[in-house]
Amino acid sequence: MTTTTRPVSELTAAIVNPLMSATNDVFSMMLGCKPTRNGLSLKSNLVPSHDLSAVIGVTGKAVGTIVFSVARETAFAIVDRMLGMEVTEINTEVRDAVGEVTNMIAGAAKAKLESLNLSISIPNIVSGVGHEVHYPTGIVPICLSFQSEIGPFSVEAGFSPVG
Amino acid sequence: MRVLVVDDSATMRNIIKRGLGTLNVTTVSEASDGVQGLNQFKGGTFDLVLSDWNMPNMDGLQFLKEVRQLDSKIPFIMVTTEGERARVVSAIEAGVSDYLVKPFTVDALKAKLEKWVSVPT
Repeated sequence: MTTTTRPVSELTAAIVNPLMSATNDVFSMMLGCKPTRNGLSLKSNLVPSHDLSAVIGVTGKAVGTIVFSVARETAFAIVDRMLGMEVTEINTEVRDAVGEVTNMIAGAAKAKLESLNLSISIPNIVSGVGHEVHYPTGIVPICLSFQSEIGPFSVEAGFSPVG
Repeated sequence: MRVLVVDDSATMRNIIKRGLGTLNVTTVSEASDGVQGLNQFKGGTFDLVLSDWNMPNMDGLQFLKEVRQLDSKIPFIMVTTEGERARVVSAIEAGVSDYLVKPFTVDALKAKLEKWVSVPT
């Protein structure tokens, strides 16, 4: 991941703090741990930070995408913490739990941007080394990298105004 | 006590079921969207409904409206990320009984359920 020379939109910048706050809330309330942010950068490629990603589309007075990307071990730990279930492969339970965490992060973040009247889609799950997520044309996404006691993850997002 | 839990996430349905289990409520039916939920509601007898908002096929707000056409009194708790004031007002206008915003702590879930569950003796 390298810094791009294209400017990040004001809306994308505006979502950084709501995403940080929402991520902290979801991890502390639902997963019992407090993540530490260890990076903030602009993305110049299509490959999320980790091997499993949940993607949510956002519409309203802005359009954009929010991606929650986790290492396999982080995803397995999420299932363990939410369901008390030990898993060792990416299965239905893993995809569902990661999708629900993403739904809560996106939902809590959008609630902090009420003036934009945003709606969020059902999460789509993408997995595999080097998988790509395409943002709407012209959007430069940001990447928030985190470390936590259940492993590394990132939250990526890019927004642009409508009209 | 018969409870209907409607959420497209099996993870969230399980978390709610575990919360109900701590109150000795084990007669729980599940549905993954509003259409399935409405079919179950029409085909069964329930004392409490908990529903997500954002679901495929029929969302929780429409499901609430459909349920209220059939039963104006059954307790209906919306469990959702939709925490904006305008959304909460929409749910209240549609007849929601209570509201729990995701994410929530185990204690918050338990407190909300205790309010509406009549614990078997």
